[in-house]
Amino acid sequence: MLDISNLSRRFGGPGSRIVLDRISLSLPPGSYVAVVGESGVGKSTLLNLVAGLDRPDQGRVVVDGIDLTTLDDEAMTRWRREHLGFVFQAFHVLPHLDLLANVALPLWLQGRRGREADAAAAAMLDAVGLGGRTHGWPAELSGGELQRVAIARALVHRPRLVLADEPTGNLDPARASGILALLREHVLSAGAIGILVTHSLEAAGTADRVLKLHADRLEPLS
Amino acid sequence: MKQGLAAVFIGGLLRRRAASALSVMAIALGVALGLAVHLINGAALAEFGRGIRTLAGEADLRLTGPASGFDDALYETVALHGSVADASPVVDIEAGVVGKDTALRLLGVDALRVGAVQPALMPRPGGDRADDAFAAFDPGGVFLSPALAAQLGLAEGDRLALTSSSGPIELTVIGRVPGAGGEAIAVVDIDVAQQRFGMAGRLSRVDLRLKPGASAEAAVRALAPLLPAGVVAITPEATVARAAGLSRAYRVNLTMLAVIALLCGGFLVFSTQALSIARRRAEFAFLRAIGLGRRRLAGWLLGEGAVLGLAGGVLGCALGLAFALAVLDWFGGDLGAGYFEGIAPGLELSPGPLIGFLALGVAAGVAGAWLPARRARAIAPAAALKAGAGDPLTVGSGARWSGPACLSLAVVACLCPPVAGIPLGGYVAVALLLAGGVLTLAPLAGVVAAACPRLPVAVGLARARLQAVPGQVVVAAAGVLASTALAIAMAVMVASFRDSVDRWLAKVLPAELYVRAAERNQAAHLTPTLQQRLADMPGVAAVDFLRYDRLILDPALGPVALIARTLPADGDELPLVGEHRVVDDPVWISEALVDLLGLAPGDALTVPLAGRGHRFTVAGVWRDYARQGGALVIPLERYRALTGDDLASNAALHLAPGVGVDEIAVAIAAAFPNGGLGIASPGEIRRRSLQIFDRSFAVTYLLEAAAVVIGLAGIAASFGAMAAARRREFGMLRHLGLTRRQIAAMIATEGGLTAASGALGGIFVGGAIALVLVEVVNRQSFHWSMDYRVPWPSLALFVVAIVALAALAAVLAGRLAMSDSAVRAVSEDW
Amino acid sequence: MRRRSWLLWLLLPWIAVAPVAATDYAPVTPGRALSLPADAGAHPAHRIEWWYVTGWLDDDDGASRGFQLTFFRLRTGIGEDRPGRFSPAQLISAHAAVSDPSVGHLLHAERRARASGALAGAAEGPMQAWIGDWRLADQADGGIVARASGERFAFDLRLQPRLPPTWNGEDGFSRKGPQAEHASYYYSLTGLVVSGWLTVDGRQRPVRGVAWLDHEWSSEYLPEGAVGWDWLGLNLDDGGALMAARIRRADGSALWRFGTLRTVDGEVRELDFDAISFEALRHWRSPRSGVRYPVSWRLGVDGTSLVLEPLMDDQELDGRASTGAIYWEGAVRALRDGRAVGRGYLELTGYGDALRLGSGGPGR
Repeated sequence: MLDISNLSRRFGGPGSRIVLDRISLSLPPGSYVAVVGESGVGKSTLLNLVAGLDRPDQGRVVVDGIDLTTLDDEAMTRWRREHLGFVFQAFHVLPHLDLLANVALPLWLQGRRGREADAAAAAMLDAVGLGGRTHGWPAELSGGELQRVAIARALVHRPRLVLADEPTGNLDPARASGILALLREHVLSAGAIGILVTHSLEAAGTADRVLKLHADRLEPLS
Repeated sequence: MKQGLAAVFIGGLLRRRAASALSVMAIALGVALGLAVHLINGAALAEFGRGIRTLAGEADLRLTGPASGFDDALYETVALHGSVADASPVVDIEAGVVGKDTALRLLGVDALRVGAVQPALMPRPGGDRADDAFAAFDPGGVFLSPALAAQLGLAEGDRLALTSSSGPIELTVIGRVPGAGGEAIAVVDIDVAQQRFGMAGRLSRVDLRLKPGASAEAAVRALAPLLPAGVVAITPEATVARAAGLSRAYRVNLTMLAVIALLCGGFLVFSTQALSIARRRAEFAFLRAIGLGRRRLAGWLLGEGAVLGLAGGVLGCALGLAFALAVLDWFGGDLGAGYFEGIAPGLELSPGPLIGFLALGVAAGVAGAWLPARRARAIAPAAALKAGAGDPLTVGSGARWSGPACLSLAVVACLCPPVAGIPLGGYVAVALLLAGGVLTLAPLAGVVAAACPRLPVAVGLARARLQAVPGQVVVAAAGVLASTALAIAMAVMVASFRDSVDRWLAKVLPAELYVRAAERNQAAHLTPTLQQRLADMPGVAAVDFLRYDRLILDPALGPVALIARTLPADGDELPLVGEHRVVDDPVWISEALVDLLGLAPGDALTVPLAGRGHRFTVAGVWRDYARQGGALVIPLERYRALTGDDLASNAALHLAPGVGVDEIAVAIAAAFPNGGLGIASPGEIRRRSLQIFDRSFAVTYLLEAAAVVIGLAGIAASFGAMAAARRREFGMLRHLGLTRRQIAAMIATEGGLTAASGALGGIFVGGAIALVLVEVVNRQSFHWSMDYRVPWPSLALFVVAIVALAALAAVLAGRLAMSDSAVRAVSEDW
Repeated sequence: MRRRSWLLWLLLPWIAVAPVAATDYAPVTPGRALSLPADAGAHPAHRIEWWYVTGWLDDDDGASRGFQLTFFRLRTGIGEDRPGRFSPAQLISAHAAVSDPSVGHLLHAERRARASGALAGAAEGPMQAWIGDWRLADQADGGIVARASGERFAFDLRLQPRLPPTWNGEDGFSRKGPQAEHASYYYSLTGLVVSGWLTVDGRQRPVRGVAWLDHEWSSEYLPEGAVGWDWLGLNLDDGGALMAARIRRADGSALWRFGTLRTVDGEVRELDFDAISFEALRHWRSPRSGVRYPVSWRLGVDGTSLVLEPLMDDQELDGRASTGAIYWEGAVRALRDGRAVGRGYLELTGYGDALRLGSGGPGR
């Protein structure tokens, strides 16, 4: 269960630009929503606040009863390690790790290393369609394949919340739809909450609900 | 467009201020050291040459022989020779100053002759003797050069007591030698020098002015048959050149070290440029896409290197100049090595060396930028523009065979003979070892990384990165390798040298007490009477006497020391090296003579003694660290039989059991009051020798420190640039749940592993370079061997320290990566 | 007195300050019988000694030049107990000059050395003095060799004596002042017939002429108060010879006058103080030093008078840069009633107030 209430964030000190103004949102497990909005409206800021990578000026983010805004940096980092999956526009697959290692990275972070972690990562790679290439290198992959690796990495540790920030921004439309479908499929099958931030209505269309972000509210897009 | 591009490239250097500053500093350091060494030695040499020229005056030729002099009958023969216009006889001795622990250079000249050949040595009476026409002949008078007068604080009318075999000689200062300027010399009448300072019937040299039209070469040939064995005719220029040759090896060695420091600077430019280019890949791709040619792109990048080099060069020249001035002030012209004692050189600035070292700085900058620029040329715009492509940090790993090839070539270079007395092959080997070491860094880093555990995750990530991107290690660790290698090489060489010198001293100083007629004093000797009195001293069990002289074996070489001493037939009391045998008429030669004269045990050597050549057989080779120009030892009895000279310069006293060294020393001092005897225990001599040794190597510690600073700067610069380039990666890892601490640990591990690779390579390369320095460079430069010794504890400490410092430098440089802005960088637009 | 020019100046202060008592110089006393060749050579027991040759040289073109060669021997009293090769006990110096009107000034050279074997010395017995290749020596055949060279000149001359020596003073005991201790042994060889070679500025030519040789030795030379002297040695065309000299005080007055006249028939007469008079007729001022020299004289000898005219005015020897001495020493003609009657040498010393006594010396 994700509960966002009265979330506000401004940048650049007093009298500065207010990016988010008292935003509230509540999502049950199994939700898969898209957040759209104009460029610069604060989509990424919202994601960072939800991920605990940024601190709100006001408001709370509560996940499964834990108010993330009360956690210190260490605790927040540990929480992220356990419960969060990320998919980035630029993939951010580490070039110096092979595919299996990239996917297994979140498991390693939890101190799980060895056959069990490798097996989980391999299964995950298999699930995103890269089963035969566990020991391939990122440099050998296309953009779409890199994003598949990223999706595998985002889900390998069974997170409660998956945040995807323009996951298809760097992909051509043909590959994009495949990736979006894959993401949706895996988020839902893991029983996680998925939030897809995009400015593409097409991409947003793959979500169960589409919310449009304004500075002071999230409203369903009809 | 041009100006615009200048802003993109050169302006970019300003944006990367920290990295640029480090590169500039590194180059400046190398340039400064090189220039300073060059200027200091240049100044000393110039002053030394000027001194010799001043004293040689207008002489076209100089007849010179053993330090003990030659028969003065030669003077008349030569002065009347058809090719000689003027001849000036000179007695040149060192005389101890009574009551002071110093000796001064005392020249006996003929005031009626010296003016035509060496006007600078003309004595001028002063004070109340100014009008005395015969002051220059005054047997109780001495003339001081302005420098010596100032040094001793003496003026006309003051007394100066000098030591001699027959006791102290009281002289009165009756004038100056104004022409001698900065030379510290005292002048007396030649007759006084001969009769009162133990040179009766002998001359040290005759300076000649030739008749107009007579060539020096022809005169040398014409005079040669007239000269007794051991006396040669040489030009003053040759004397200067010989003196320069003696210290040349030392100078070249220092200059080479400075060049290696510059090389480290070049590596640093390479590191920062490689990283900066990797980081700006997309930028370049964009520029290429909008029409910038490959060649121009590479040109601009080389230009960046040149600008860094130029800035470093300018800064380095200024630093070097300041450094040179300071050092000349503090240490004198030989950086404390003792080659140019007694002169006070002034700095002479000519544009040549300044431009040269500036150019070296630029060259280092350009060379450092060369490979990265080539790399940038190869950027494919389309691929690089596509976001998300991996960073291309593979530069510098080179072909697999290139490292071993360099290392093998280094072995070959070591086998080359010296060129003009300079161990060129040795230096080439050093360069090849460094290059080979750098080229072997990538596989080495792989080995180091593989030795690391996979957990904790920070270590695992660092290990994975090192294994996957060894090029990064090369870039960052090249500087560490170079500086570690340099530091270790110097440390091992100095330790080997010091250790060898120490053991050598123990071998050459077997007695309990040493007595010198006077400190470095040729004028004073132990006469047979004194020798007997020493031997008869209660508590003295035995005395070995030594007679020193300096001979000229070959006009092309400097003077060679002759040591006549009591010695067992097998020469066992000498620090012998290699094969030796028992022969009739033995002579034991120092290692320098093996190299300079090409002699080996069993060979014949003709030694000029008392004006006649005598044939000796080389019985063995001994190690001599005291006389770079070479030394030979013959038995004292043989020397006395051949020369009739029964004086001694030195005595080594073996004491009766139970007799204290101090008590005998006191007894001797009391028994020979005013005798000018110097008394020293082996411990004292050893302490003083090692003190001089340490002083002359002080400058190498400076170079080592500089190299280490440069190496660490390399790590810091590399990681600074890398951290900037990897901000998004760090940001993503933070997303995934790595704590700041873990990221810091990861960077530190990478830095430590990188430094460890560099240091490991540096240990091997440095050890090899030390071997080259010991076996090739020193042997060929200074003609002496030494035993290889590795100062393990201090080296281990050094390596641990450099790895820790490198990790710290990496973390500090990567601090940026742990900021929140890095987190946001993940979703920054490209 | 004579010449000795710079060397005497060099000597003056030394004579004044040196510890005379310390050195046992041989005295000059009347009544000692001098004879040649025994006294032609050196007398090393005396403090100072010189051999002084002056003369005129004519070449095949009819041009006349003057020449001068002097050897000095000086006993310093230093280091006589140390018999080394470089003992400064005896110093030898030499001075040579050529006076050539076509050059317009003197060409001169000097050498100094300590007596030492073949390099420099003055032997006892027949005259033999040398420094390097400079030489003034009696030959076995009775002739004399005079050889010297400088930067721009060289001469190698043979002097043939025709007349017996002229013993100046009382049989060679020549007083230099009112006190008997200021005296020297002094004889002259006059009317020497000269032949040989002269080189000036690279051109060598055969020359003939007439010369004069003085040999003088002493231990106590100049009286106190003397500042300079004028000396003349004149070979008369008729075969006679005249030596006249005066020693001057600072105010220009004569402290002592002495001379010797040898007549054509060989009669030798000592000229005393009152028998000689000097009267300057013309002065010449040196453009170099500004010193004014009386270069033309009327010389009165026993009532007769001679006019002396220089070969050229500029025969100043400016040794300020080397020896420190500056004086005039040159060839002169003697005229009687406007008719040339002889040729000789005139020496004028002590005219420059720059007679910096003692400024000369080995150290200069």
